[in-house]
Amino acid sequence: MAEREDRLDGAEGVAPCGRRFPEELLSGYLDGALTQSEDQRVRLHLEDCAACRVLYDELKTLRETTMKTRFVLPADDQWDERPRSALSRLFRGTGWTLTVAWLVAVALFAAWQLATGPESAVEKLAIFAGVSAVAVLFLSVLIDRLRVLPGDRYRRVKK
Amino acid sequence: MALSQPFPTRPAAPASARSIGPDLTDGELVARARRGDGQAREELARRCRRPAYLLALQLLRDPDDALDVAQDALLRVFTHLDGFEPGRSVQPWLCTIVRNRARDLQRSRRRRPLEPLAGAEGESRREVIDRAPGPEATAAGHQLQARVWRMLAELPAAQREILVLRDYQDLSYDEIAGVLGVPLGTVMSRLHRARKALKELLVADGLTAAGASDG
Repeated sequence: MAEREDRLDGAEGVAPCGRRFPEELLSGYLDGALTQSEDQRVRLHLEDCAACRVLYDELKTLRETTMKTRFVLPADDQWDERPRSALSRLFRGTGWTLTVAWLVAVALFAAWQLATGPESAVEKLAIFAGVSAVAVLFLSVLIDRLRVLPGDRYRRVKK
Repeated sequence: MALSQPFPTRPAAPASARSIGPDLTDGELVARARRGDGQAREELARRCRRPAYLLALQLLRDPDDALDVAQDALLRVFTHLDGFEPGRSVQPWLCTIVRNRARDLQRSRRRRPLEPLAGAEGESRREVIDRAPGPEATAAGHQLQARVWRMLAELPAAQREILVLRDYQDLSYDEIAGVLGVPLGTVMSRLHRARKALKELLVADGLTAAGASDG
């Protein structure tokens, strides 16, 4: 009885035939998910009730239709479930660190060259403005990229 | 080195390299995949793609988002194979991940309205029902399948997901209860309500019982 109560959610309702019968048992019967006593109860009810038999047949047809459905799935070459290896992650991290260090060194050297070079103040200002504009654009893209990185679904996928 | 043996013989294939077929259980595949068997990983991925994609497609209604979420779910399965309990099926675990990832995506896009589901009778931008001739369905059958799939998209999300899990993926009630995090009794009653709602939508769309039984 305890098992019976666990299996059905809610009180015994009224079936399409107007009788007190837990209608959801029809789905359980269709799926072969009932206990022996529930199964027998549904079978006896269906023998005696045309309205529930019609509903059962309709649900059965519906399930057969869905089970037969074949789908066009994305092609195999669109899937890649291989996580990146530890070695790949190590090389990627090292590469980024070296690249950033190199960029900082080059930027500092260029700034020092510009500050101590023979160019006039107007030329230095023009160069500084141009380089600054490109740097600001680059930074804005970098910030956006870093912001979405935690939710990037493919960061661990080997491509 | 034995000179009497003119050609080197191929060493016997290790157990993990022998043919991987559909007869292997998920547990056996996972065990092999954990040991680094590439064939087992590929077979496991092949088994997981369809259920992951279909559930994501019905939850998200967009083929591109569905592929993203399904692929993400598969990636999570493969990166957490060590946590898989032997003797269980991979599919409920996978469906739980897909459901969570789909919810995350929907939450992050709450302000962006969803597009209607693709896959129905020519109005979609991508066909998802395979209409190729097969032994199991006629042209009328394919048409009915496409219609059912399209109508399914009009149900509330809770009914859509339970119908996909049971009627398209054939998960047991126990497995569905685990995926949805609901009691077993709720599965039967929610599933029944969903089936009735779908049937009523189809009837409202002009489908008769006779028309349905043709497919």
